[in-house]
Amino acid sequence: MPGTSEQITRLLEEGMAAIASARSESDLLDAKGRFFGKKGAVSAILKGVASLPMEERKAVGELANRARAELESAFDARLAGIRDQERRRSEGRERIDVTLPGRAPMPGHRHPVSQTMSDVLAAFRRLGFSVQCGPDVETDYYNFEALNFPPEHPARDMQDTFYIESGAGDLVLRTHTSPVQIRTMERMKPPVRIVAPGTVYRSDSDITHSPMFHQVEGLAVDRDITMADLKGLLTEFCRMTFGPATPVRFRPSYFPFTEPSAEMDIQCVLCGGSGCRVCKDSGWLEILGAGMVDPTVFGFVGYDPEEYAGFAFGMGIERIAMLRHGISDIRLLFENDIRFLSQF
Amino acid sequence: MKIPYSWLKEFIDTRLSPSQAQEALTMAGVEVSSCRFLGEGFDSVVTARILEMRPHPDADRLSLCKVTDGSTTFGIVCGAKNMKAGDAVALAKIGARLPNGVEIKKAKIRGQASEGMLCSEQELKLAESSPGIMILPEDTAPGKPLADALGLSDWLLEVEITPNRGDCLSVLGVAREIASITGEKVVLPDVSFPETGEPIANLVRVDVSDPDLCPRYTARAITGVTIAPSPDWMRRRLTLCGIRPINNIVDITNYLLLEVGQPMHAFDLDRLRGGRIDVRAPKEPLTFTTLDGSERTIEAGTLLIRDGEGPVAVAGVMGGANSEVVDGTTRVVFESAHFSPPSIRRTAKRLGLSSESSYRFERGVDPAGTVYAADRAVSLLSRFATLSVAKGLIDVGAGNVKPKTVPFRPERATRIMGRAYPPEACREIFARLGFPVADQGAGRWAVTVPTHRFDIEREIDLVEEVARLSGYDSIPTTYPESKAPEFSGDDRFVDIQERAFDFLRGRGFSQAVNFSFVGGRTWERMGAFLGFDPADAVRVVNPISDDTTLMRPHLLTGLLSNAADNVRRFIDDVRLYEGGKAFGKSYVEGQFEEARLGVILCGKRLPGDWSGADAPADFFDMKGVVEPLLLHLCASPVHVVPTRLRPFFEEGKAADILRDGEVVAWFGAIRKELLEEYALAGPVFYGEIRLAKATAAAALPGRYAPLPKFPPVFRDVACVFPFGVPVGDVLAMVREVSPEVVEAGVFDIFTGEKIGDGNKSVGIRVKLQPLDRTLTEPEVHSIHSKIVNLLENRFGGKIRTS
Repeated sequence: MPGTSEQITRLLEEGMAAIASARSESDLLDAKGRFFGKKGAVSAILKGVASLPMEERKAVGELANRARAELESAFDARLAGIRDQERRRSEGRERIDVTLPGRAPMPGHRHPVSQTMSDVLAAFRRLGFSVQCGPDVETDYYNFEALNFPPEHPARDMQDTFYIESGAGDLVLRTHTSPVQIRTMERMKPPVRIVAPGTVYRSDSDITHSPMFHQVEGLAVDRDITMADLKGLLTEFCRMTFGPATPVRFRPSYFPFTEPSAEMDIQCVLCGGSGCRVCKDSGWLEILGAGMVDPTVFGFVGYDPEEYAGFAFGMGIERIAMLRHGISDIRLLFENDIRFLSQF
Repeated sequence: MKIPYSWLKEFIDTRLSPSQAQEALTMAGVEVSSCRFLGEGFDSVVTARILEMRPHPDADRLSLCKVTDGSTTFGIVCGAKNMKAGDAVALAKIGARLPNGVEIKKAKIRGQASEGMLCSEQELKLAESSPGIMILPEDTAPGKPLADALGLSDWLLEVEITPNRGDCLSVLGVAREIASITGEKVVLPDVSFPETGEPIANLVRVDVSDPDLCPRYTARAITGVTIAPSPDWMRRRLTLCGIRPINNIVDITNYLLLEVGQPMHAFDLDRLRGGRIDVRAPKEPLTFTTLDGSERTIEAGTLLIRDGEGPVAVAGVMGGANSEVVDGTTRVVFESAHFSPPSIRRTAKRLGLSSESSYRFERGVDPAGTVYAADRAVSLLSRFATLSVAKGLIDVGAGNVKPKTVPFRPERATRIMGRAYPPEACREIFARLGFPVADQGAGRWAVTVPTHRFDIEREIDLVEEVARLSGYDSIPTTYPESKAPEFSGDDRFVDIQERAFDFLRGRGFSQAVNFSFVGGRTWERMGAFLGFDPADAVRVVNPISDDTTLMRPHLLTGLLSNAADNVRRFIDDVRLYEGGKAFGKSYVEGQFEEARLGVILCGKRLPGDWSGADAPADFFDMKGVVEPLLLHLCASPVHVVPTRLRPFFEEGKAADILRDGEVVAWFGAIRKELLEEYALAGPVFYGEIRLAKATAAAALPGRYAPLPKFPPVFRDVACVFPFGVPVGDVLAMVREVSPEVVEAGVFDIFTGEKIGDGNKSVGIRVKLQPLDRTLTEPEVHSIHSKIVNLLENRFGGKIRTS
């Protein structure tokens, strides 16, 4: 039946045209429905093949099947094209500017002194020390006398002291966190291994001195503690804090509550030891004071200096923070300017 | 203390160069903080003589000079007018780099070549300013380095002496220190002189009535002396060391103070009434004029030097105006004494008067050195002044001077230091120190310590000598035996504080650190709003400024002024926190201090937000920080209740937070009057947590509750309440209605005409979820009725039906 073949050819042309002109997925589905869907014209012809004369069945069937296959594949290609177009269009509309800030405040900042204090405490806690705190308002006994600063001793001039009004007299703002040594040893028997962080006060104020600042004091007492142990521990600490290659030196000094006493210097972090304004041309920066606990101090807390030995060390946290960050004026640390704090 | 290197060399012919001496002393514990070459910048500056001087042909203000250095003649253009032909001057040759940084180059000035520069004192940094060029003494030979001509080929060591080493506060002391480092010998200058005068006993009589306070008193007398300036070299040394030259008598006492560390005093013998000196502490207070011209009240018990009638000096601290050496003085008594250190310190503190003399006596002056100092003074003085020395000397208490013997075990040094110190090595160090050693057997020694070493009394002091003179470099680095650290309550506190800091950091807050003080003026102006009775404040007796008058009773003032400072710098969104102590007094506990955490917030709720919702922060933003922080830290329930007890907050916008019935925090909107005081415009919100209290008892880890297996049912109720009904209480009661109510929250809240003035509408959503079944409709209805009943009857609510 030549009419059927022509009909198929026409339907194929019309179908291809409808697919090609489809602008959207629904246009396309519409075209599919009309031509080769279950109820489409090509499908109808295929259903009718059985009723055709035997000799035509094969030819018409083949032709119709081929036409449907062609339409299906054109449909798939067009569908992919339309979807792709759609996706590109909607992407343009819904794309997110990922560079805009997230919806929550940005994290705040740690104060460099507090951060340095945390780091110092963390280092010593890893090295086996536990934290002990004490009061800021101290008695003369704990701040001076039991630390072997007798009344009328010139060593008291080393620390300009704030006094506190009190009925009982003799209250001071602690000038160092060393009183915690005494309070701890009064309370416990060796072995002792503590670090004492806190605020301390000196009646002094200029570019490198602040009336309040922070200190960490350390104390270890045991049967066989030596100055070599102290030197080893502090060398390790300096390397943890200032970098593993930092040269250090240990030299004799004086503190009333330790003997022998020492100061530890690190090579100047600014000039690398060649001499500059910060290290006063010496190439070295003093970082901390230390020494073996003076037997007189053991006497005050009832430890037998023949049985026990101990070491103590202390450092100013502001100084370390200033060296770490290259800050030259200590007052900047207490202004709490957010532009400053945001840098840490 | 400043010490010229050349002066040290007079006492020890050391092989150490100035910078080696600096290093060696520092590493032995006598810190030399600087070592400065005094002739710095004087290279290529020489003495010269002006041969000829004529005006510059093309410039009125300039002169052309021909100067010679003895071998070469230089043509110099000079702008100064104060010189003439024949003057000796300082010539900076081409290539010189002057102390003020100027480099001298060959130059043509207005067409005339200048082959150097004639220097002024100012250019050489010898003076702050100078009128013209420097004119040298007439007899100056040309061609010598200027540094030599001026005695500046020398180094000035600046030595920092620790309070235990009073013996090093002199040239002699530092020389001894070098000797104990190098093993070189200290040589004392010869002090022989003829005693041509009458016996001293005919001139002056000395009594020491308080020998405890004055163990030794030595005196020499001279007559026939003329008061005059000291020689240049002595004046230069005194000036270098920071002491102003006065006259030959006063200068010699100061010179000896610097040289041997013995403070001396010179009395005008003719002004000592009765020719007497009596060293005694008065039993009654009195007034006395010291030589600085101030009239001072002297307390009983203060050691004085008296003459036949009354006080003439405060012993060891300062002389009196009535006996000091004056221009017409011809007869002088030199005092060279030893006073007890604590007595001098008490006196100096009471009088608020610290002198070079009291500074040394406080730290200990060698009682064995009084005679040498007196003799050295007289001997040196007689080299440049005409005088007659009285025969003999007075020396009261010479028998009181005895060296100490201190026990020592070499094994002890090894045990303390963690490094072996063989006995021979210890012996060698004591020999360098000049400490004789007696071996008493069984590893025990008796070491004799000379009287100038006040710091050595115990074995440990000798251990330190051995250790420091062997060098701390030789101490090995070992580690203390490892032990598991204890976990103390303070370890826990430090950890909790770190968690709080991290939490706040995550919420966008930066950390502030303020002083623990409140200014006195701040308190006066705002005390009424600070919520603390001034009588309970901890006060500083000796503040250094108004800012250090009181200890802060809370952290508010610091953070408030930080907020104001930042806003003033155009940072409007302030989020700061501070961890620190608050201080107070109570009758029960006495002084107390408490760990706190303060948080301040102003500006936008979400700084930097771009979505158009840039709402200002309000009360609930602060609550949304403080309450979750507490929950984060203590993991136990807290209750927020309104408070009227905190005057720094706006009324009706303040709350306390309770934990187990105890106030552990408060927060609210800062009161308007305070904002005005700090020039802050917008609302500012503040919260403060009693950190230690809030986290005192660790909550045990909570027990697990099984999870429901059946779906929940949600019910919403909209209800109108009188405005004052606290929604938090309503929700709490709703949760108690039945065990099936597992959550109750607010989804909506508003006021307005529609619901009547004085009312608020609250939308409450409840979640019902029994563990073991699905609720039936009648069960849901019954719970809902109970809730409605509660809202209406307990809180006076009216259910809204939309």
